[in-house]
Amino acid sequence: MRINDAIIGAVLLAFAIAMFAYARTLPAIPGQEYGAAVFPVLVAMGLAGCGVVLIASGVRHWQGAVAWSDWAQTHHAWVRLVVIFALILAYIVVAPALGFVPTSIAILLVFLLMMGVRWWIAAAVAIAATILVQQTFVGLLRVPLPLGLLGP
Amino acid sequence: MSAIQTAFGLVFQPAVLVTIFLAALFGLVVGAIPGLTATMAIALLVPVTFFMDPVPAVGAMVTCSAMAIFAGDIPGTLLRIPGTPASAAYTDEAYMMTRNGEGEIALGANLLFSAIGGLFGTFVLILSAPALAEVALQFSSFEYFWMALLGLTCAVFIGTGSPVKGLVSLFIGLFVSTIGLNNPAGVPRFTFGNAELTGGVNFIAAMIGLFAVSEVFRFAISHSVQTVPQAVIGNLFRGWGRMMVQYWPQQLRGNVLGTIIGALPGAGADIAAWVSYAVSKKMSRTPERFGKGHVEGIIESTSSNNAALAGAWVPALVFGIPGDSITAIVIGVLYLKNMNPGPTIFLNNPEYIYAVFIIFILANLVMLPLGWAAIKGARTILRIPREILMPCILMFCIVGAFAINNSAFGVAVMLVFGVLGFLMEENDIPVAPCILGIVLGPMLEENFVTSMIKSDGSYFAFFERPISGALGVATLLIWLAPVLLMALRSRKSAMPWQG
Repeated sequence: MRINDAIIGAVLLAFAIAMFAYARTLPAIPGQEYGAAVFPVLVAMGLAGCGVVLIASGVRHWQGAVAWSDWAQTHHAWVRLVVIFALILAYIVVAPALGFVPTSIAILLVFLLMMGVRWWIAAAVAIAATILVQQTFVGLLRVPLPLGLLGP
Repeated sequence: MSAIQTAFGLVFQPAVLVTIFLAALFGLVVGAIPGLTATMAIALLVPVTFFMDPVPAVGAMVTCSAMAIFAGDIPGTLLRIPGTPASAAYTDEAYMMTRNGEGEIALGANLLFSAIGGLFGTFVLILSAPALAEVALQFSSFEYFWMALLGLTCAVFIGTGSPVKGLVSLFIGLFVSTIGLNNPAGVPRFTFGNAELTGGVNFIAAMIGLFAVSEVFRFAISHSVQTVPQAVIGNLFRGWGRMMVQYWPQQLRGNVLGTIIGALPGAGADIAAWVSYAVSKKMSRTPERFGKGHVEGIIESTSSNNAALAGAWVPALVFGIPGDSITAIVIGVLYLKNMNPGPTIFLNNPEYIYAVFIIFILANLVMLPLGWAAIKGARTILRIPREILMPCILMFCIVGAFAINNSAFGVAVMLVFGVLGFLMEENDIPVAPCILGIVLGPMLEENFVTSMIKSDGSYFAFFERPISGALGVATLLIWLAPVLLMALRSRKSAMPWQG
C-alpha cells in the first residue's frame, strides 16, 4: 500500500504546523532566550521542510493517491490486519477486568484460528503459550499481570 | 581487587552464564527464522532484561545480537531467504554454493569467519574505547551536540533509500523524544493533560511496536509458502584451515572495514556486509566467479557484519551515540540500569566496561559450538510454523510492553508504534532513524540548549573549539554532499562538451 508522497508530505506539513503552533504556546523561562519551545520548533520546521519536498516530488510522479500492492487487493489481508489491531486493543480494554490468563488464551485462539491452524492445535498452543508467558513474567520476573476474574 | 578481577567475578557466576547461554539460543533461533530480525530479537529480549542486574542484562543483549547476526546466514544459505537484513548482501552467493553441493562449506565459512570477525571487532573495541574515553572527557556540550547530530546525520544519509524519507523518520523520532517533562526547562510538552504522557513515550514500548509488532502486521498480509531445506549432512569444518590460509587478506579487510563502518554512528551490520561484499568483488583477482557460488565474497562480508556489531559499541560506550539500531536499544537500556554510557563510566565503573568486553569475547567463542548445533538443527528451526509462532510473539510483545510500567498504557504506545512502523515500511520510510531520534533526541536538545545559553545565542561558538569545529564541519559536509553532487551533475549535463 504505497501512499503517494504528496499525501504523506501534506499530512506531515499539517502535523508540523500544528506542532509549531503548539510549541509557540510553551512558556519561556524568564530571562532566558532558549527554553522548552526551541527544540520542538526546530523539529517542526524540519518536518515541514520534508513535507514540502515530498509534496513536490509526489506531485511530479502522481499516479493516483494510493498505489495498492498485491496484498491490499485481497480483503483477506485487510481483515487480518484489522483483527490483529482489534486484538491488541481488546487486551488494553478487557485484560484489567477479565485477567491476563483468559484474555491471553482468547487472543491467541482468535489469531491462531484466523491463520488457519487446526482448532485442537490452536487450543493447545494458546494454553501452553499463556502458561509459559504467565510463568516467565509473573513467576520469574514478578510482573503483576492483571488477575481479573481469577483474583481474590 | 583490580577492576578486571571484579569484572571476571561479575561475569563468571552461574546465573549470568545461564542467562547468556539462554540468550544465545534465543538469538540463534530468532536470527535463523526469516522475517525475524536481530533487532527484533533484542526488542523482544529487552522487557526480560529490564528486570535483571546490569551485567547479565547487557550480556544477554550482546550475545543475542551476535548469534542472531550469524544465524541469519543459515536460511540465507539454505533457502535463499536472509534471516536478518545483515545477511542479505551475500545470500545469493551462499545459496549458489548450496546448489553446487557446497552448502556445508558456505555455512562453515559463515560460522568461522563470523566468530573471528566478532573477536576482531571486540579487540578493536577493547583497545580503542578507553583511549577514546580519555579524549571524550574533554568534551563540552558543543562536542556532544555535534556528536549526536553526526550520529543522526549518518543514520539518515548512509542508509539506503531516499535521504528525505530518512529525515522524515528522524524528525518523527525527535518529535516523540520531546513528549513529556524530560526537557531542560522541565515544562510538560505535548502531554495534553495526560498523566501517563508526562513521563514521556516509553522507549521500550515504542521499540517493541516499531520492530516487532510491525513485523506481525507484515506477516499477516504475506502469504509466502514455508519451505523446509534439506538437513546439512556434510562436515562443517571441512576447508577451515585452507580458507584461513588462502583468504586471510579478504578476511582481514572484512574485519577492518566492518569495524570501521560499525563504529561510524548510524551505520550498522547490514551496511557493513553490503560494502564489504562490493569491495571484495572489486579487489578480487577472480571477480568473474562472484555470484556463481564463490566463497571469497562470503568470507569478507560475513566477517564484516559481525565485526560491525562490536564496532558499533565503540561510540555507544564512549559517547553514548549508538552505532546502529541495536546499540540504540542497548543505550536506552543502559540508562535504565544507571549505567549511563559516556567517558565517565570508564572512570567510575570500569568493572562494568571490562565485564562487557569479557562477555563479547565469550559470546564469539561460544558461537562456534552453538552455531554448529544450530546449523545441524536448522531443519527443525525452519520447520516451526510461522502461523503458530507469530501469535505467540504478539502475546509476548503485549506482555513485554505492559511489564515496563505495569500499565496498559505501554500496550497502547506499542500499538501506535506498531501501526506507524508498518505504514512507514510500506512506504519505504526507514525505521532505524526514528529509534535513533527517540534515543538521541534528549541528548541533542540538552546539549543544544546548554550550548546556546553558554554562547549567548552565537552559532559561531559551535565551531570555536578544535574538536567541535572539526565535528561540525564533518557534519555539515555530509549534509551538503548530496546538494554538491547534484550541482556537479547538473553542471556536467549542462556542459556536455566538457564530458
